Amino acid sequence: MEETIIPKTSTVLAALLKADFTTVWRNRRAVVMVFLVPLVIIVSFKDLVKTAGGPFVLSDSLAYGLIAIGLMGYTNSIARDRDKGIFQRLRVAPASNWTIMMSRLFVQLTMIIVVTTVIFIVGFDYDKISLTATGYLLTYFTAIIGGAVYLALGQVIVGLIKNPETVNSTSRLIYFTFVIVGMFGGTGRLGPQMQQLTQWSPYGTVQTIMAGGMVPGSWTMDTTNALLVTLGYTVVFAVIGIKNFKWNTK
Amino acid sequence: MDNNQSESILKVTDLCVQYGTFKAVKEVSFDVRKGEIFGLLGPNGAGKTSTLSAIEGLIKYQSGTVIVDGHNAKEKPLYARAAMGVQLQSTSFQPELKVSEILQLFAGIYGVKLTNEKLTAILKDISLEDAAGKRFGQLSGGQQQRVSLVISTIHNPRLVLLDEPTTGLDPQSRRQLWERIEAIREHGHAVVLTTHSMEEAESVCDRIGIIDHGKVITIDTPQALIEKHKNDPEVIAVSRKGRVTLEDVFIALTGKAVRA
Repeated sequence: MEETIIPKTSTVLAALLKADFTTVWRNRRAVVMVFLVPLVIIVSFKDLVKTAGGPFVLSDSLAYGLIAIGLMGYTNSIARDRDKGIFQRLRVAPASNWTIMMSRLFVQLTMIIVVTTVIFIVGFDYDKISLTATGYLLTYFTAIIGGAVYLALGQVIVGLIKNPETVNSTSRLIYFTFVIVGMFGGTGRLGPQMQQLTQWSPYGTVQTIMAGGMVPGSWTMDTTNALLVTLGYTVVFAVIGIKNFKWNTK
Repeated sequence: MDNNQSESILKVTDLCVQYGTFKAVKEVSFDVRKGEIFGLLGPNGAGKTSTLSAIEGLIKYQSGTVIVDGHNAKEKPLYARAAMGVQLQSTSFQPELKVSEILQLFAGIYGVKLTNEKLTAILKDISLEDAAGKRFGQLSGGQQQRVSLVISTIHNPRLVLLDEPTTGLDPQSRRQLWERIEAIREHGHAVVLTTHSMEEAESVCDRIGIIDHGKVITIDTPQALIEKHKNDPEVIAVSRKGRVTLEDVFIALTGKAVRA
């Protein structure tokens, strides 16, 4: 009997990553949509830099970018590929489930870093917002943690909903809700209770940790609590999303 | 049958698949030998795809064993999957990827080093040398099936599973695909093929297993099945061409009722 050769995990992951990055690159229109809202915010909030501060504007803009990546980019790509049977084709090959997902998540992680970098650049160039080196590094770190919440929330959506069109409309609806909540709830225009609710919602905690990361000296107990709540949201969403996830729509 | 042909590449024993309370596959057993094309036939919902999915590792089976090239599919799923090549019923690849990129992707997953020369040779072999830069969705149905088939054999597997590979193809493309499937057999691989085309089963398969209501009704060569059942009153009653065909035997064994 001939010996069966199992490819190395690194070889499988490299092949998947190459394909997944190529897919994102060829979907540049969808990528532009991810950048659009945060860039509009950072440009239109220029006047707020003086009153609310640069970290507020940057963290607000970044929060929307992270929501877009998790809820629109990740969710829709998973829903589409599942519906088309692309995952099933990969799963009958010797690629373990976690390798397939790891590749997808790595692509989104890269997107988070790219979006964060672009916002830093535009913020510096257009709004003249600059941070310390530690601030920039900590913001990358908090952006990844914040991005994880939205990726996990996206996982909940694809875990609970099978139809890709319903996934698309649901993720847009949640995205829109976050935008409204962030714009009005967070500023107190909808009342103090709504402001508090927003502050401890995934949107609010992510914004808090990112603003805290940008100015490390301003990190308070509230920021630490926001970090813990963010991690809690991530774990709860991820468990629900992974537990309910099906690899095919049939 | 020589020693090579008697070597079992796939051995399915008492396989049971259940969805909730519905038993889709009930104690199905069969084996597929080296250099053999084994056809799995059955009406819609008979349990063909569930059986194949269990072998492929796409669904969990409740009981029974699946041994692929000596590897227990439940205990060593990656080894079993590495030993088989699969063409699913509705194959789809990332629409953004070009044909050459899809081939590179699967070569990587199977741990096969694919040089540009080898890639060109593969595409030339399936008469798609000009399609390397095309996206999968831009190919015709026949071309897509050829790409899909070549991907399922890119790692030279001992077992190839083909789930209704010729559905929707024109006669020319179908004949060409049959030749390719036969070529796989000539290379010593074992092939499991599901199809609704009795003509295909009769032309291509060395042995046939007819499955219905989740159970294997019979397993034999197409000719032996016809010989065995040609005088059955049920077969004669459904015969339409003055001579008994495999389709007549199939209809007589599985019933005339249309399945959902």
